[in-house]
Amino acid sequence: MPTIPLISTLESYLKLTSSREQAISSNMANVDTPGYRTRDINFQGELSKAMNGILNESAGGSQSMQLTPVVQEVKGLMERPDGNNVNLDREGLLMSQTQLQYQIGVQLVKHQFHQILSAISGGGQS
Amino acid sequence: MNLFDSLTISGSALAAERQRSEIVAANLANAETTHTDAGGPYRRKEVVFQSSSASSFRLALASTGNMNLPVAGTVQISQVVEDPTPPVMRYEPNHPDANKDGYVAYPAINPVSEMVDLMSSVRSYQLNASAVAAAKQMIQQSIDILKS
Repeated sequence: MPTIPLISTLESYLKLTSSREQAISSNMANVDTPGYRTRDINFQGELSKAMNGILNESAGGSQSMQLTPVVQEVKGLMERPDGNNVNLDREGLLMSQTQLQYQIGVQLVKHQFHQILSAISGGGQS
Repeated sequence: MNLFDSLTISGSALAAERQRSEIVAANLANAETTHTDAGGPYRRKEVVFQSSSASSFRLALASTGNMNLPVAGTVQISQVVEDPTPPVMRYEPNHPDANKDGYVAYPAINPVSEMVDLMSSVRSYQLNASAVAAAKQMIQQSIDILKS
């Protein structure tokens, strides 16, 4: 478990983003499967759940819980005659969005490590 | 639950779509085949896609430490079925496969609908290939954390 709270927050953010990426991949893979229903994770809800878990832990809570995001069906999408309701525009947009979110997380982690490194080397010269 | 699982999922779709286009190619190639090993004209074939389910079950099992389970959400071809449409009868009395009335049974294959199916398959293949590229880029970014 990382000692720096921000890095563990970013870790759960990255985990969540890659889980969402996986859900989108499987929606795209099943674009021609009859009866397949679009699946997704509730990003906001899962993120706040993970954040609360980290906050509890840093506040002295003992349990280090490993939250697995709940994958659920997406409601309100138009269904094709074969019972499949994958919307390619939705999946494509979400995939680029998730990719960028992941990039943000990675950049922030890199930035954290750079800060630690610059503290170790006494600033200035790297 | 990691990015390599996304690659597995997209890879399964690539394999399934490739097999689908192979079947379509076989249908197009055999559109005029009147003689097969099984006897009678060639029968049009179709693939049946199936999604692997039990997502939450897999998660529960994976949390117990057994990680050798198949990744949820992959797609595979469960079976290849034959189109039950009766063959088209054409009057060609000099054909070696003609019946006693002079009719030859030709496969009921419409090249236009096969081409549409092929295009759909190619587009899905491209879509999943771009999903692979996206997952690859994300993995590369994670590796770049190590670089400073």
